[in-house]
Amino acid sequence: MQAKAAVNQKTGNTLNNAFASHFAKSMFLSVTALAILSFIGTRMFTHVDLNLYGYMVGTIVFIGGFFYRFIAWGERPPTKLILKKGLKLLKRKSTPKTSVEHLATYNFIWNRGIYRWTQHVLIGWGCILSCFVTFPLVFGWMYFTMDDNGHYNIIAMGMKVMTVPADGIIANLSYNALNITAIMVIAGVCMALYRRLKNMQARAEQNFLYDFMPLYMLLLVSITGLALTFMNIFLHGAGQPAMSLIHQWSVIITLIYLPFGKLAHIPFRPMSVLARNYREHYAEQGMKECKVCGDQFVSSEQSKDVVDVLGVNDIEFKAKEGHHLAEMCLPCRRKYRIAQFSGFPTHEVKVKEANQNAKG
Amino acid sequence: MKKRLYLELENCIGCRSCLAACTQCGGHEERNRNYVYDVNPLVNRQTMPLMCLHCENPACARSCPAQAIQIHETGAVLSALVEKCIGCQNCTIACPYGIPKFDQEQNLMYKCDLCIDRTKDGIPPMCASVCPSNTLQWLTDEEIENKKKQFNLDNGKWVTSMPYLEGETNVKVNLPGILQGITKLF
Ligand code: HEM
Ligand code: SF4
Ligand code: SF4
Repeated sequence: MQAKAAVNQKTGNTLNNAFASHFAKSMFLSVTALAILSFIGTRMFTHVDLNLYGYMVGTIVFIGGFFYRFIAWGERPPTKLILKKGLKLLKRKSTPKTSVEHLATYNFIWNRGIYRWTQHVLIGWGCILSCFVTFPLVFGWMYFTMDDNGHYNIIAMGMKVMTVPADGIIANLSYNALNITAIMVIAGVCMALYRRLKNMQARAEQNFLYDFMPLYMLLLVSITGLALTFMNIFLHGAGQPAMSLIHQWSVIITLIYLPFGKLAHIPFRPMSVLARNYREHYAEQGMKECKVCGDQFVSSEQSKDVVDVLGVNDIEFKAKEGHHLAEMCLPCRRKYRIAQFSGFPTHEVKVKEANQNAKG
Repeated sequence: MKKRLYLELENCIGCRSCLAACTQCGGHEERNRNYVYDVNPLVNRQTMPLMCLHCENPACARSCPAQAIQIHETGAVLSALVEKCIGCQNCTIACPYGIPKFDQEQNLMYKCDLCIDRTKDGIPPMCASVCPSNTLQWLTDEEIENKKKQFNLDNGKWVTSMPYLEGETNVKVNLPGILQGITKLF
């Protein structure tokens, strides 16, 4: 048993050693996967749409930036910890519900304000739906063929899944899918920009590259996309090739920018589900009692994990009394600090903290 | 001229103007992010404010798996970025002074950001702007140095940082003389 494990570890290591880094390995595996999927989807590259070639290059550069950024991030001690423990807990019963609430319906943004929620649903779902339409087309996983009798065939991964009349509802929805999503994104981005004019908060802590650039890029992508449709329908395709280039360029820049700016939250937000599972699971396992008042304020596991993570950063907060400061509940920890300032043990007086809400 | 928040804790009269002012800062959404405590609630009326001290090596940011807590070039340790915070609450456990607050419904941490829209342009934060008792002040390093000279130094009573705090901080704290029976030399 032991020997077998050792051997496994060894072969595992040689596979890892074949690549210069995690980065090289992940990059290699994903580009290979993309190539294989496209190979199958296009029936051995017989249905490649060369107009979409730029997107393909853009996506591959994006994957490079993505792995570069996220592998560095995953190596940080607190991140690694939540990822590791959270992934093990994915089988919790609450996972599907938490995932939907956190990643699809954004209930928590609703609680921040209906305006913010509407704005995010428009931007977020607008983008997600656009990707569902665009990516399969770009990599040839999905394409359309036309029969003589005015019917379209929708072909996914090389198989015919549906035949629809060319002027039917489904066909119209699929021609217009990207127009609809573009309008969603434009509306959402306008809401975000309007909020920056109106609400000083949105203006705080922001700089051009982090805050405005993603909004302007999303706007540019959507407007040039809509302009393409407009030129097709009303201008009989005049100016279409140039606009197509601008559109392609804006999508590629957005993709490349994505891992480094505000939009980096998209691939990374699913971790909020891991964090929720981590908190729920370990809270059931056992709660930490405050060293001063005995209140249960966090799971024992998380309390220990935070102390360890701080230790890795050479931070250690030992109280004179011998315990770590993280072992006190928050009100006691605050009173303990007052006690350090005044010399009087405020935290030992059993009186609840008074009037902390500025409500008179 | 770079200025800092500077606290003279024993001046506090417990009016809670700083809490009220905090709620009005852009982005604070009418919730305050600071604290005022009774030192010995059953015996006397002495109060002291407790603020984020904007640590030079902030435990909150080090413990954040999402890198949601950014450190501004002025040294201010900012509130969680709204799109990054994943709601793990590590930061609330890590902060040695118990400063970050957490909103369960919004799944979001919020903490003092030193009113960054104001302080990045040299305007004092809301709390220091309104404090009527000079407990919270907005001073240059030179002014803080002069304050230091006014006090009887070398008696161990002026300590802006260690061992009363857990590490070096951007906010400077003056320890109270009154409570320790020492008259200040104004
Ligand atoms: C995986 C699902 C996603 C989650 C959980 C998520 C979460 C969030 C959260 C919590 C915020 C802060 C909102 C606020 O407090 O006002 C935000 C902002 C934002 N999200 Fe997402 N997001 C997701 C997907 C997306 C997608 C697909 C896009 C499309 C590009 C997107 C674009 C944005 C933009 C542009 C902002 C900034 C809004 C502003 O600055 O006012 N998000 N996101
Ligand atoms: S006092 Fe607490 S919240 Fe403020 S910077 Fe230091 S660790 Fe972070
Ligand atoms: S609660 Fe938010 S800000 Fe605090 S450590 Fe977790 S992710 Fe970071």
